[in-house]
Amino acid sequence: MFRHIRNGIVGSTALALVSAAALAATPPDMLVIGTDVGAIPTLDPAALNARTVSELVSNLYDNLLKLDPDDLQSIQPMLALSWEVAPDSSSITLKLRDDATFASGNPVTAEDAAWTIQRVIKLGQVGATDLAQWGFTADNVEQLVRAEDERTLVIELPEQVSTDLVLYSLAGSSLGIIDRKAALEHETDGDLARDWLRANAAGSGPFTLVEWRPDDIVVTERREDYWGGTPAMRRVIMRHVPESGNLRLQLEAGDVDIGQYVGSGDLEALAGNEDMEIQHTPGFGFYYIALNQKDPDLSKPKVREAFQHVLDWEALSQSSMRFNGFPWQSIIPRGMAGAPEEFEEHFAYDPERARELLAEAGYPDGLKKKLYPAGDGHLLNAESLQATARLAGIELELIPGNHVPEFRARDFEVYTGNSGGRLPDPFATATHYAFNPDNSDEAQLSGYYMWRTAWDVPELTELTNESKRESDPEKRAQIFREMDEMYQQLDPSLIVFFQRVDPYVVRAEVEGYVGHPTWSTRWADVTKN
Amino acid sequence: MPSVSILPGPRARRARLGRLAGRTVSLALTLLGLMALTFLMGRLLPADPVLAVTGFEVDRATYDRVFLELGLDRPVWQQFLAYVGGIFQGDLGRSTTTGQPVAVDLLRVFPATFELALTAALVGSLLGIPLGIVAAVNRDRMIDHIARIIGLAGYSIPIFWMGLMALLVFYAKLRWVGASGRVDVYYEGLVPSRTGLLLVDSAIAGDWAVFRSAFAHLILPASILGYYSTAYISRMARSFMLEQLGQEYIVAARAKGLPRHAVVWRHAFKNIRVQLLTVVALVFAGLLDGTVLVETVFGWPGVGQYLTRGLQYNDMNVVMGTVLVIGLLFLAMNTITDWLYRRLDPRTR
Repeated sequence: MFRHIRNGIVGSTALALVSAAALAATPPDMLVIGTDVGAIPTLDPAALNARTVSELVSNLYDNLLKLDPDDLQSIQPMLALSWEVAPDSSSITLKLRDDATFASGNPVTAEDAAWTIQRVIKLGQVGATDLAQWGFTADNVEQLVRAEDERTLVIELPEQVSTDLVLYSLAGSSLGIIDRKAALEHETDGDLARDWLRANAAGSGPFTLVEWRPDDIVVTERREDYWGGTPAMRRVIMRHVPESGNLRLQLEAGDVDIGQYVGSGDLEALAGNEDMEIQHTPGFGFYYIALNQKDPDLSKPKVREAFQHVLDWEALSQSSMRFNGFPWQSIIPRGMAGAPEEFEEHFAYDPERARELLAEAGYPDGLKKKLYPAGDGHLLNAESLQATARLAGIELELIPGNHVPEFRARDFEVYTGNSGGRLPDPFATATHYAFNPDNSDEAQLSGYYMWRTAWDVPELTELTNESKRESDPEKRAQIFREMDEMYQQLDPSLIVFFQRVDPYVVRAEVEGYVGHPTWSTRWADVTKN
Repeated sequence: MPSVSILPGPRARRARLGRLAGRTVSLALTLLGLMALTFLMGRLLPADPVLAVTGFEVDRATYDRVFLELGLDRPVWQQFLAYVGGIFQGDLGRSTTTGQPVAVDLLRVFPATFELALTAALVGSLLGIPLGIVAAVNRDRMIDHIARIIGLAGYSIPIFWMGLMALLVFYAKLRWVGASGRVDVYYEGLVPSRTGLLLVDSAIAGDWAVFRSAFAHLILPASILGYYSTAYISRMARSFMLEQLGQEYIVAARAKGLPRHAVVWRHAFKNIRVQLLTVVALVFAGLLDGTVLVETVFGWPGVGQYLTRGLQYNDMNVVMGTVLVIGLLFLAMNTITDWLYRRLDPRTR
């Protein structure tokens, strides 16, 4: 028996040694992205709003327009070569290029573009959020968005809205143009190919989907006949690496070229590595504490103000938030119209002040509340908040888990999370933080964070609406400044501490991979030395 | 030698048939209980079954339509019957986190976990059984203490930490093994999936490069899980063996002048095989659903990650479907172990 065991062990070791030969750095025409491909419920552009899947879909589909990652306000042509806004801003006419084809070989036409936009609105899923804000509905979209001929797409606007906002939304990954013919071949029960497009792609992008296995891998292959030129990478692979330490080892070994969702500790270690570059891509969202205004204690302004002083954000900015955000207390993202020139401190970490405010609000013995983090990624911040809030007399019982559903359903007390946005305009963050047109439970406006916290300030909602209608850049900036000021004065239910940053670790030999703030990073220009 | 029964032919057959019928009824009842339990679990989980299908971004009309489609307006017993009917047609619902039918997902993740658990159980048995026996034979001597420390270390060191350390040494420093997934990315999709077990599939296809890569990815997580199981297996093997070594037939065998290894392996070991089988079967069954930490460290696309994500995201169909299948596997393991018992030990027939 011992002899058999010994032989087995020797055999296994030999096999392991031999297999080492199979391991090497990634080939020069293959890009391997270590990321989280776990929670991708669908590849349908109309139904997505998460980071990883947005990046993937942005490479399987083309949009009518694109936004330059270095200058987001500059709108660039993609499938549309040119566009013209009517003098009264009531419509936009786009002229499509004639050399673009889908992966199926079908030409890309204005019919496809019109159908895609109509489909997004008709399905009414998360991808429709932006367009629905411009007044498009399932009833009016077919009439308002139409192909005049094979190359001309006309978009009539149902209400007065800044046309830049509409153009920005056309560059979002939810509006990747779908091959209508190919999709309709797989339509069942009038579902507009929703079921088929969950796990298949029908785009004109530079890459095609070879395989997708949830919790494991996504394999894409370049299109040799891509209208924008054949990409240098033959294959781009998204590999599921849920453990940050493991991802770091693979980045260091060269088995992974790009690292996403790398933990703070590992980023710290990689920061000094000459073989890597860490890109800090700012996002249009914030890290915040949310206070449910349906809770009689938390709805008192003094209590809300007290919560502004219980998070040691300066300490966090040096630890868990060092690579994931920078201190920011305005609801207008840095660099955008109406945003402060630089960081303005409206509230400092001051547990003593918080204790006084609580006493003034009628809680001299402090408060006891439940704290819900958005998910595991927010646990460190939540633990820190729990520890520092205790010094102010606030006992927070931390409930670990993913509590986005409770947040959406207004079924929480205190919540920590972060937001993201895909429109490079302050309007996008305003709709999250300063927009709540109907505060009733029945309204179910769970897309708006302000509704989720049940905070009702009609003046802020009106300012948001005004910013949507206004086209003059200076006037818009003034509206956002006014909105931000009012927000601060009212001691809001959503307390913003950091502006979001998405860190991407990129190996030195990779060129042309630029993390996009709207999560539509494209791989067509990536090369490797 | 022909088998001898103390009962006459027809009566023996009847008795056998009776036993078979009894076992089948008991199996069917357990199955029904299992389905009732998972159904109940689905109703008790704090998740809206409609939102589990539609996702959060849903308008009222779609919500109402799906509510009716799911039969949630019907009495609970009718819903249960529909659920059982669905199971027998292989319909476990659709996952909201992967967008795929749960049955399709399980067909993908179970072979990965099965391959990992089987290899781990093999490693655990190959290490644990000899370790336990050597410890028993050398009771209270140095070798016994060392064996116990080896076993205990495997049990006490956090498996997550051990996984990362092992990766640091065997992947990052020595480059002997793969870091995550089941195979290197260059070999993805090269071998057609027949059994879902990559080692087997690549061997059938005769693609030895894929086989080596799959082995290099499997061996480290399997060894760590196996080492973790070693503690339990060796402790049980030691205690079973000690019990046998105190028996009279062992004394007789020794008195007869048989060498020690013959006494231990030929006589004592034969008598603990059945008990060891139960232990290994339990370890294996436990590995089928309890490998989530190792799966996370090694990015292994198995049941542990799938079920944990289902729980995190309130993906009810995933939780219900996975628990049901794990329950079925336990049932299958029990039935197989029972059968092996009867093959190995005539007294249990």
